[in-house]
Amino acid sequence: MKESTATAEPGLVGVRERSEIAGSGGTQNNILTIARRELRAYFDSLVAYVVIGGSLLGMGMFFFLFQGGGFWQVDRVTMARMFEFMPWTLAVLVVPLVTMRALAEEKRAGTIELLITLPVTDADVILGKYFAALAMIVILLAATLAYPIAMFIWPWHLGALDWGPVWAGYLGLFLYASAGTAVGMLFSSITDSQIIAFFLTAFTLVLIHVLGYFVEYLPGVLGDVTSFLSFQARYAPFERGLIDTRAIVYFISVAVICLLYAFRSLESRKWS
Amino acid sequence: MSTDVMIYANDLSKSFGSFRAVDKISFEVRRGEVVGFLGPNGAGKSTTMRILTCFIAPTSGTVRVKGFDVFDSSIDVRRSLGYLPQRAPLYLEMSVLEYLRFCADLRHLDNGTFNKRARSVVEVCGLAQVLGKEIRYLSHGYRQRVGLAQALIHDPPILILDEPTSDLDPNEKTEFLEYLKQIGKERTVLLSTHNLAEVEAACARAIIVSRGRIVADGAIEEIRAKSGKVRRYTISILEAGVGDANAKAPKPTEIEATLRGVPGVKTVSIVPGEDKSATYELTTERSVDLRPELFRLIVDKGWVLLELHRDTQKLEDVFRDLTIGDERRNRVVGGKDAPKSARAKAAAAAEADEEDDEEEDEESSK
Repeated sequence: MKESTATAEPGLVGVRERSEIAGSGGTQNNILTIARRELRAYFDSLVAYVVIGGSLLGMGMFFFLFQGGGFWQVDRVTMARMFEFMPWTLAVLVVPLVTMRALAEEKRAGTIELLITLPVTDADVILGKYFAALAMIVILLAATLAYPIAMFIWPWHLGALDWGPVWAGYLGLFLYASAGTAVGMLFSSITDSQIIAFFLTAFTLVLIHVLGYFVEYLPGVLGDVTSFLSFQARYAPFERGLIDTRAIVYFISVAVICLLYAFRSLESRKWS
Repeated sequence: MSTDVMIYANDLSKSFGSFRAVDKISFEVRRGEVVGFLGPNGAGKSTTMRILTCFIAPTSGTVRVKGFDVFDSSIDVRRSLGYLPQRAPLYLEMSVLEYLRFCADLRHLDNGTFNKRARSVVEVCGLAQVLGKEIRYLSHGYRQRVGLAQALIHDPPILILDEPTSDLDPNEKTEFLEYLKQIGKERTVLLSTHNLAEVEAACARAIIVSRGRIVADGAIEEIRAKSGKVRRYTISILEAGVGDANAKAPKPTEIEATLRGVPGVKTVSIVPGEDKSATYELTTERSVDLRPELFRLIVDKGWVLLELHRDTQKLEDVFRDLTIGDERRNRVVGGKDAPKSARAKAAAAAEADEEDDEEEDEESSK
């Protein structure tokens, strides 16, 4: 114990110097540190494996087997079917599973009190967690590349795949996931139950997605509004290989708004 | 405000809805002080600490930590603090070392500093055996130590500890309090606890809060002296009816009456004790020592004295005196005098929701 008091003083000075040096560069480091911890936590729990394994399996079955024989029935060299199903997988399973714990679990376990009282801003916490969740989904999306690669490059050559639409599709999925993850963060920030966060996120994402299918039945302004809001309507061009800049702006805006709201809801604990 | 003032709170209030958890508290803690923050459950200790650590914002009042305002320079405040919340905030899937590393990273400690600090913290908290273990496999006591290690890792000038010893065993407690005293010479420590013996062991000063207000603040001796001059004597006398050898042994009623006759004795009450003896508790308001007189009296009567001692004024008595009377104080904003009104209860429940880990506290204080 005596030793510790002796070493105490230099340590103290070290902290001060560092914090002065760190100054402005600190915030990216903080986001990175938090994101890294989050990502590790995903892989330490079952979440990562369930999400990746489960959605790959589900995707594979939908792609090849269900819906009238799937890929084989279509008889064309295209990945369109995958890009039609992926948003569903994201909305129903992946995004809710990955985001549900983000803040809800911290609040339940009380670790939020640690994060908040460390010298990091609330924005660092939200962004760190957001990027970790998004990274998790990007890992899953990257894993789905195994399908086109296996079917059209190696070991099988089922035909000459046009990769343009595939990349457009992936960009669409990434944008879809960016917005969806932000929605998930929002719900995770308002409750301290993972289950509630899961269902709220899944319900909302499915609702926003399904809206797109009603567009043609809705008259006039109502249809316009629906098509404006729907993730599905925004995502549809990417599915066909079109990169729609309005959709890019839309998805990013949704992400930013949801994250701002999550930030506010985390901050509101101070004032309640 | 002198630069030596490390924690400064002025007119600090915090309301949850209509419930006033903290009500115009003002105090200062200087460098080199170890201060015990005492009070019954739900008195506002945790709330005050959460305000000091920037977890929640005060409703009104000024709080400065190391000269930094909690609103204007929140990051600087948090940088100078080490904080252990009531419930140790641990990521269960991490190993102890990873966890400490994570906290150190967010505090921007470089590798060299971290290694040096980690070594000393591990020694102080006794974590050498469990460094590589995942926190989820650790017992409560060890988890508490890990939480403590987290608060110490950056060698903060100010430590705020919310019931740091609640999960430690008696040996660990003693050791930990000893350590607090050590580091308290250079640093500032504010620790909350229910255990008054701990405060007496580690702190020179205590702040007692009750129902959101400070009811006593000062050196422990001062506080002890503050509450009246009631002194307590405990007397144990062999009773009648046990064997023939004690023919002279008195009846309990006789003893009671005799003791009551001693000048200066205010009350006499029987304390349940062993079968063969009767134990009486006497209180007096006089500061004169009654022991010689009591002894002579008993010898004159020919009774067999088994025990006689005088209790010095305990911090616990003071604590009880100061906080019980305050229990009934109405703290509902705008209400008159019905502390147990539905409104107060609803507000208390609202707070319990707000501060999940104080739920039990709220329950038990009702």
